[in-house]
Amino acid sequence: MSYKARLIKDRISANLFLVLSLFSILTVVLIGYGLYYKSAPILGDSSLWHLLSSTEWKPFKNEFGFFSYIVGSLAVTIIAIVIALPLSLLAAIYIAEYAPYRLRQILVPLIDLLSGIPPVVYGVWGVLVIVPYIGDHLAPHFVDYSSGYCALAGGVVLAVMVFPLIISILLEVFDTVPNELKDASLSLGATQWETTRKVVLKKSIPGIIAATVLGISRAIGETLAVLMVCGNLPMIPHSLFDSVYPLPALIANNYGDMMSIPMYESALMLSALILFVIIFIFNAISRLILYRIENRS
Amino acid sequence: MKKSILIAGFLALGWVTFSSYKPSPTRPDQLSGTISISGAFALYPITVKWAEEFRKIHPDVKIDISAGGAGKGITDVLSNITDIGLVSRNLTPEETKKGANPFAVTKDAVVPVISASNPYLKDLLAKGIKKNALNDIFITGDARVWAQAGEKSNAPIHVYTRSDAAGAAETWANYFGKKQEDLQGVAVYGDPGLAQAVKKDPLGIGFNNIVYVYDQNTKQATNGVIPIPIDLNNNGKIDPDENFYGTIDQIVAAITSGKYPSPPARDLYFVTKGAPKTEAVKEFIKYVLTDGQKFIPEQGYITLSPAKINAGLNKLK
Amino acid sequence: MQLRRKIESAFFKSLMIVATLIIAGSLIMILWTIASKGMQSLTWDIISKVPEGGYYIGKGGGILNAIIGSVYISIGATLLGLLISIPVVLYVNIYAKRNSWIANITRLTFDVLFGIPSIVYGAFGFTIMVYFGLRASLLAGIITVTLLVIPILARAMDEVIRLAPTELSDATYALGATRWETSLIFLRQAIPGIITAILLSFGRAIGDAATVLFTAGYTDSIPTSLGQPTATLPLAIFFQLSSPIEEVQNRAYAAALILTFIVLIISLSAKYFSKKLSKHKI
Repeated sequence: MSYKARLIKDRISANLFLVLSLFSILTVVLIGYGLYYKSAPILGDSSLWHLLSSTEWKPFKNEFGFFSYIVGSLAVTIIAIVIALPLSLLAAIYIAEYAPYRLRQILVPLIDLLSGIPPVVYGVWGVLVIVPYIGDHLAPHFVDYSSGYCALAGGVVLAVMVFPLIISILLEVFDTVPNELKDASLSLGATQWETTRKVVLKKSIPGIIAATVLGISRAIGETLAVLMVCGNLPMIPHSLFDSVYPLPALIANNYGDMMSIPMYESALMLSALILFVIIFIFNAISRLILYRIENRS
Repeated sequence: MKKSILIAGFLALGWVTFSSYKPSPTRPDQLSGTISISGAFALYPITVKWAEEFRKIHPDVKIDISAGGAGKGITDVLSNITDIGLVSRNLTPEETKKGANPFAVTKDAVVPVISASNPYLKDLLAKGIKKNALNDIFITGDARVWAQAGEKSNAPIHVYTRSDAAGAAETWANYFGKKQEDLQGVAVYGDPGLAQAVKKDPLGIGFNNIVYVYDQNTKQATNGVIPIPIDLNNNGKIDPDENFYGTIDQIVAAITSGKYPSPPARDLYFVTKGAPKTEAVKEFIKYVLTDGQKFIPEQGYITLSPAKINAGLNKLK
Repeated sequence: MQLRRKIESAFFKSLMIVATLIIAGSLIMILWTIASKGMQSLTWDIISKVPEGGYYIGKGGGILNAIIGSVYISIGATLLGLLISIPVVLYVNIYAKRNSWIANITRLTFDVLFGIPSIVYGAFGFTIMVYFGLRASLLAGIITVTLLVIPILARAMDEVIRLAPTELSDATYALGATRWETSLIFLRQAIPGIITAILLSFGRAIGDAATVLFTAGYTDSIPTSLGQPTATLPLAIFFQLSSPIEEVQNRAYAAALILTFIVLIISLSAKYFSKKLSKHKI
């Protein structure tokens, strides 16, 4: 092949690829702008503060109060993290520090498998197992009645979805703790647990925070699995066993009515925008922390 | 050499794929095309039947039907995503302004339902339930225990409603002069979903299209939910002429004669955006308004009055 | 004192084991639930026929429409995604100078896109669909899922290509290769990683519901062209699960089993490939 032909190929491919890269960067901007553009009508109609703090969701009266939905999202996410973080932490420590190598080789792929399961399958499991268990066995001890479709169900399902994410990050973080430190601690007579607590965990706090933040952003954005088990009731929950209505479920359930009420489409796009912004911020925070850790080691 | 074959292969694949985007007619003198339909669960069963029968006459027409609620139906058709929207409620002024063009095709009703395993079933079937009690249960939320529905019990009432934008919910709320957003209860997706939720909950109460309550074959309420008779004259019991909930034919007759109020009985519409755009869509709607009407009774719906049918046919001209 | 520390150590160790058991156990419980419910309903009919009498109420037929629809969308989206992500990954790693601003911003972009929840892609996809006048169709579904899948592909392949040693490019440039030719060498090196990336994104694409909920529509038939709506496995499960008619529910369980099965096979193959083919690694 002639020299010139090769150079031309190089030149063409470089330009083409550059264009594609710029196009990808543009996509993020497009998504953000597109959502904002579609939300503009409702933002022009009521103040952002009013939209975020009102609980009145009456589209026909042009009332769009997002507060119940935001609280719904917060409720299931907090429950999910409260369940997932301690369990993931303990399991990750076990796998990283205590488990024999062979066991680690089995456990890690097993947990990875969990991350591949589609959300709708989690939803099916939630409906078949978690919801009846909560409704029939757990709730009667605490409240008069719960159909089982509640915040707790959403939280449990989300927790299981988030385990593999948090564990995989924690394992990476624990691996960056230099072995010399652990050896030094053990040689000074500390027990395995004390070493873990005082050396590994202490050094990994930023990593744990990053994993938690990432877990939160995953939980906030999950749509289908939560929708199937949370009860879809826009209310401020008074207990774990009350139904809730997270933001993604709001979008998924109601996009069908977008045309009949002019502001409705705008309101739903605003929910998407809110989700986009929140998740963007959380992801940025956790990436920043992880980047620092990576550079340090 | 190998690379150019690969590139040629990709291009060929691409061309074949994209050229099939517009379906080409197979027989020039046969009606062909695709009709895309989505919308109310209420209309879903009969539309499926109409599509099947229509395809027997015009096998080259492809009809895709999906449910999702009346709200989805109207959104999709007004966004030009589908050809026909199935809408089980009246159109709003905004929808008409955007070009929604309704064709009344049949009529059905929404009934209040309880679980077949409800402990007060026998009593409720005998006494019925008053409209005020229903209002307190579904709208104001004042009725929280079954005592307020006429049973001597402090067991709580578990109310269910629809999470998707539904004609059934809108119609049920209209019965009390309100809108779907005013309905209380745990929201479930889809009419079958609501029926399922009430079926599983002995203390549950909800509402369904009659076509999901009564089994197609047995004509009776055997799907796990039982309709509660509405005590229309408020005398505290169900008189013989108020007792038409046994089989679907009975309630259809009651709706036709006007004994069952409208709402919750209502007209069901096929909605297009503006005039029907393709020949296939026009023919389908024409079929539905003429020969298709004969399937209505067996499917459990109410036949439309000739006046309404003619109004629709005239619009097609 | 010694005893207390020993007890504390043992206590936490047992807590950890319990935690690990809970987590591993929940996976097994999920698989078991899906398998048992799905196996009961799995018949040859279910995977070879489309629903008869309407997917919501029809008592006969199966989920072939969803299986094929999902496969079409996933393959289409993965192919399209590769078409965009391979060039970009090559650009960032080979054409651009290391740590140039465009390389960093592109990487950042993909991190951002990776974290966007699928419902936002669905809402965005729906907006694009309406804007261009597309109907709820295979094409609209593929486009939306492609958006979802590009960051997954890009990140996975970026990881792999980054790992290839700089000595490799030093050698190729020393021999007078152009950047394009160097890219081809790196791609060859990264084949196991690329295959893993493809499998990962395929698995994600086939299982996601929120992207196709608004854009691919749903239908009882198998799509024969890009302009037709298509059923998908996740939606087949979601819609048919809540029906009171048992035959319809059974279709949902069978669909769940098949979907889980497909995803498991993909996950396991991804692991297998990444181990097996890395013997070519320098």
